[in-house]
Amino acid sequence: MSELLQDPFVQSSVLPLLVGVILVGILHLLRRSLAAAGIAAGFLVVFALVIGLPALPPPSSMGKLFWASAAGLLLGVAADVVGVRGRVASAVLAVWLAASLLWIALPALDSAAAVVTLIILLGTAVWVAFARGSDESASPMAPASSLLALALAVGGTALIGSSASIAQMALALAASAGGFLLWNWPVERHGWGLSGQAATGIAVLLAAVLALFTQTQAAVLLLALPALLAGCARRFLPQGNGRIGRALSAAAVTVVAVLPALVAIGAAFALTGGEASPY
Amino acid sequence: MKKTLFAAALFAATAVGAVAPAFAAPVNYKIDPAHTAVAFIVNHVGFSNVIGRFNTVGGDVTFDKDAVEKSVVTVTIDTTSVDTNHAKRDEHLRSPDFFNAKEFPKMTFKSTKIEKTGDKTGKLFGDLTLLGVTKPVVLDVTFNKDGVSPASKLETAGFSARGTVKRTEFGMKYGAPAIGDDIQLLIEVEAVKS
Repeated sequence: MSELLQDPFVQSSVLPLLVGVILVGILHLLRRSLAAAGIAAGFLVVFALVIGLPALPPPSSMGKLFWASAAGLLLGVAADVVGVRGRVASAVLAVWLAASLLWIALPALDSAAAVVTLIILLGTAVWVAFARGSDESASPMAPASSLLALALAVGGTALIGSSASIAQMALALAASAGGFLLWNWPVERHGWGLSGQAATGIAVLLAAVLALFTQTQAAVLLLALPALLAGCARRFLPQGNGRIGRALSAAAVTVVAVLPALVAIGAAFALTGGEASPY
Repeated sequence: MKKTLFAAALFAATAVGAVAPAFAAPVNYKIDPAHTAVAFIVNHVGFSNVIGRFNTVGGDVTFDKDAVEKSVVTVTIDTTSVDTNHAKRDEHLRSPDFFNAKEFPKMTFKSTKIEKTGDKTGKLFGDLTLLGVTKPVVLDVTFNKDGVSPASKLETAGFSARGTVKRTEFGMKYGAPAIGDDIQLLIEVEAVKS
């Protein structure tokens, strides 16, 4: 069993999927409106299991990623419990995400390219925070699919770019989002709320560590950004009738969201000459 | 680190009368990068041992022959210069998984103590700082030779050092223990009087 848990594939797929399913299930029983918090919680649990609990204050970007993510989770849960919504919730999320990005990026801002990268990341953070309201009653399928796609893109790109820890954690976030999606497929049971948006913010933080602290071709992640438009794409997809029809419609949203991520991963693969960590 | 070993070697040599001028003053030496190598060996999943090196190493030694224990050695290694003869692996080694070279571009060593163990051997104690974590390390050092180099015409001394460090103690936990925790160090140094 312990050997199985040491397997990188298990650590970045089966383990976070199971943890995500379990944590979302527990929150479903305790307080249904907080179920989306299970995604970020699952990510943090897997991070602690696989990489270890980082020191405080964290000496490195990966440690900052963990604690910034934990802060985002707490913020999201608190906001959802209190009932903060709309523009105020988005502003709170934006402040957390921007502050986290600056905290993580500061040691790496040694070139114009790094500053431009940070500006792009901040722009993405604003998009994540404001593009969709935090109304917890809103359908979670599209934003959860966007999160899954973004995390998948970061994970795939990191894997190709020889940054295994970031790859594992990004894929763990994707798998945790997958656990949440399973709970909401074919019937959508939960809201998304600020807890869910905070989980999407974690994907942006992972992208920041990848782009600023490794030699990975992280620019390809721009190709994955259309995944954030999954909610818009849903309006153009045929809405099925009946249980099977709704299940297919929901699955179609996820597939559409994941397509840009696959394009980004393909571009990363092509730019490295097709050599995916062969050592 | 290497210069500390050098200091230890000179200490040993002094003890046996190889170089023992009375009332010698502290002398400054500088590591010669052209004739210095810091290499490491790490086990790879039990199949083999990967050999790598750091291509950029610098440092200074202030060596006092009258009071070797007061000698001071500082060595700085550029972690971005890690080289295992495989570009993708080196990229991975520079990533946050291992040396996190963007955040921690330097690895430093500062000697704390030298103990003689033989005519030309000694133990070098010092503090190694890697990934922002400082831990004590001990190296076995052998003094090889000193004198004027026929090539450079400069006063030169050479020594070898061997030792082992546990990378996880410095927070470099990725892949351990499948990718070995014990890192063998092989150090060959020439230093010239500055």
